Amino acid sequence: MADGPASSSSPAANAARERLRAAMVRLADGDSAALEEIYDATRVKLFGICFRILGDRKEAEDALQDVYVNLWQRADRYDPDRASPISWLATFARNRAIDRLRTGKVRGGAVPVEEANPLPDSAPLADSLLVDAENAAQIHTCLAGLDENTRGHIRGAFFEGYTYAQLAEAADVPLGTMKSWIRRGLQKLRVCLEASEAS
Amino acid sequence: MSDPKNNTGPEPTRDDPMIAAEYALGLLEGEELLQARGKVSSDADFAWRKEWWDNWFAPLTDDMAGMEPGGDVWTRIAQEVHGGQNSGTATGGTATGGTAIGGTAIGGAEIIDLRVKQAEGRMRRWQWTAGITSAAAALMLAVLVFAPGSEPVAAPGTQAPQLAAADPLVAQVPIGDTGLRLDVTYIPESEKMLVGAIGLTADGVHDHELWLVPADGSDLQSLGVVVPGEVRSVELPDNIASNLGNGVSLVLTREPIGGKPDGEDAGPVVAEGAFSQV
Repeated sequence: MADGPASSSSPAANAARERLRAAMVRLADGDSAALEEIYDATRVKLFGICFRILGDRKEAEDALQDVYVNLWQRADRYDPDRASPISWLATFARNRAIDRLRTGKVRGGAVPVEEANPLPDSAPLADSLLVDAENAAQIHTCLAGLDENTRGHIRGAFFEGYTYAQLAEAADVPLGTMKSWIRRGLQKLRVCLEASEAS
Repeated sequence: MSDPKNNTGPEPTRDDPMIAAEYALGLLEGEELLQARGKVSSDADFAWRKEWWDNWFAPLTDDMAGMEPGGDVWTRIAQEVHGGQNSGTATGGTATGGTAIGGTAIGGAEIIDLRVKQAEGRMRRWQWTAGITSAAAALMLAVLVFAPGSEPVAAPGTQAPQLAAADPLVAQVPIGDTGLRLDVTYIPESEKMLVGAIGLTADGVHDHELWLVPADGSDLQSLGVVVPGEVRSVELPDNIASNLGNGVSLVLTREPIGGKPDGEDAGPVVAEGAFSQV
């Protein structure tokens, strides 16, 4: 599992994570009050994710609504033994936003890639719920081992929701070339991440 | 374009862990996306690997700036959650800051009542498919396509057209600036269309009717009256289904209760959207 052997985070962050985990468990048991607690603790982070992917406030708010309603309907999908709750929620929100991007007419393909407005990566988080610090360090280390272009394309996919086709267009290379670059990068990334798990 | 120095060599094998990474990153679209979704449902190893990548990528979200959503988002969530339960939601479900749950109509949302409408003169029974969103429908389709025990999988060479034919068409029809929208999904194999109007409420005065705008410029075809707050499934007659396709437009008009009266012009267009192939 991706959880490191010893999650070395601050006590405050651990406490926040445990509260969230408990609320997720209560939600799965049908306690609708838990949803509000989860919303209060995570809306800033999850809205930031939706907005970053969708690039439109209205769409991002729709996506956010969709995320929490879905969470309520299918809270049992979260397995508290397998993933950190904020990590799981962040992934869930990003996946829903990407789904929306792929099926809707939001920004995907409508706005040329070069016009997309980059947002600062380091604006302060309003909540203290960060994903496990150890995992964070490791993925950054492994990404840093890739060449700069490949790293940039992988980040473009993750942060802006770009597809292979959009990345190829932005870089002005054939689609097959872009796929080769990214796949080589992903292969290296996997080797690096698996090595970190084994050690 | 110069190849990055550090990024040459043999083409890596696109094995399942690689596909899972592509899926987790969100690089896939179209048929490949549908296949990956289906594989998550039917292949535990693949699902595990997808989750493995998700867990590793998740910390990157810490680099996305947090943002405060509008205050009405929670109201909408609470409304949807508690609207799905029957009366007697006083089981501890409280609202923040004194916002009402469930009671009030959504601002700006248009009305419609629970009526069945004729589609081009033919009375058509809309079937309830409670709780199914269009996205879920697309997932269900993927599961059906890939579920063990379904149609035997054809040889790789002949697989593509089969899947392409099954690709659902999806349209979102935003309702003005209310933040609400219709979700329309058409599943070619089943000839069924799902119309989701979750979050919409009826005003008791108007109905809203959904129309297909055929690409060949022929007359609009009614897809029926929208039922607010519900997801409904309707079977399409061939003369309508044959006009569906990628990029085909939909419009929503405001009508008297019951839909556009025979012999009269349709009401004003209040929203529009277009199908795209998932």
